[in-house]
Amino acid sequence: MTASYVDELHEKFSTDISYKSEDVPLNCVPPAKEIEATLHGVMKLNGLVIRSLEEIAGRGANAVTFRAGKKFGHEVAKYFQKRDDIEDALHELSDLLMGQYSFEIWKPAGSDTFVIEEGGDKFIYLVFHDCIVRQTLRRNGQEQAGPLCQTLCGYVVGAIEEITGKRAKLEIKHTGPNACLKKLILK
Amino acid sequence: MIQITVDEDSCVGCGLCVKDCPMKVFELKDGRSVPLRPEDCMGCLSCHEICPAQALEHRGIYPAKRHYVDIRVCEMLNRVI
Repeated sequence: MTASYVDELHEKFSTDISYKSEDVPLNCVPPAKEIEATLHGVMKLNGLVIRSLEEIAGRGANAVTFRAGKKFGHEVAKYFQKRDDIEDALHELSDLLMGQYSFEIWKPAGSDTFVIEEGGDKFIYLVFHDCIVRQTLRRNGQEQAGPLCQTLCGYVVGAIEEITGKRAKLEIKHTGPNACLKKLILK
Repeated sequence: MIQITVDEDSCVGCGLCVKDCPMKVFELKDGRSVPLRPEDCMGCLSCHEICPAQALEHRGIYPAKRHYVDIRVCEMLNRVI
């Protein structure tokens, strides 16, 4: 870690705001252990909602969750700077998703460029590493690439559309226990 | 770059990793799985999960954060270990 990085961090967290002593909590409430239990409860509840939705709505469940994710993506990304360049937009998106998802732009070793053109389609491969959706599904013993994954797809598509102003599509190519491969098709 | 090792003694040559890998990293040669294109591996670890002989080893992968392990299971493990 370089000194300038430490200075940068310090600068980021120093403000002119003055707090009275009673405003500053002495302890973190609730304790981390309690939050963990809540997180597990939320994961379980999410899994049950998705399972029930699948049972009742069948294949329509994917459309519902995709739509929900897309709305969320549009909503969150509207406060972000608009970008024309897709790589800049993805950089913006990775900031947006920080803490919930982490992804990298990926290309097969034989490809020279990240933006691949094939059969008239222009696309970018994204490898999602940390993902709260995957964690939720695997915690509940549910299959991947179902409606809950569509929420993330919708989220990414909504955010990309909001940032670039262009239409996009995200296809799930492969799901794994440690990472998932997704194809971002640019229109 | 990710390095993949297949334990030749353990591999049963079922070909599940060959079928499952989206990047076609593995190929079957003489009844054993061989990682021919490790540079194309994205570290999803599907092959790990599917291998019945647990014959695979990956080096240099990014391990995704796992929060899904049940707290009660962790507490029980902590008592044992």
